[in-house]
Amino acid sequence: MAWTAPTIEEVTCGMEINMYF
Amino acid sequence: MTEAECPRLLSGCRTKYDTVRGNWVLLAPERAIKLDEIGAAILAETDGERSLGGILDALVAKYNAPREQIAGDVVKFLTSLRDRRMLEVT
Repeated sequence: MAWTAPTIEEVTCGMEINMYF
Repeated sequence: MTEAECPRLLSGCRTKYDTVRGNWVLLAPERAIKLDEIGAAILAETDGERSLGGILDALVAKYNAPREQIAGDVVKFLTSLRDRRMLEVT
């Protein structure tokens, strides 16, 4: 895989965050 | 951040592969960050024991890119996690 600058996408939706927990 | 320093995720922060969406996330208490494959690869090398220089060595061996380019991207990435209080550097 080629190197690309890493991206960060903060999850701001509370419901979506809860899905991870 | 110098190459001799050792970055590590703070307690309560961990990476997880989201099988539903097919991507990596970094989880902290009541917070989540979506990562791409490069971000996940950086954190896979960030074990709390290895220095930044060691992390860069591993990534340079894995990816065909100049060390200078990888170093710049990694420092920027780790600094943004430190700013979010998800990572510390000792």
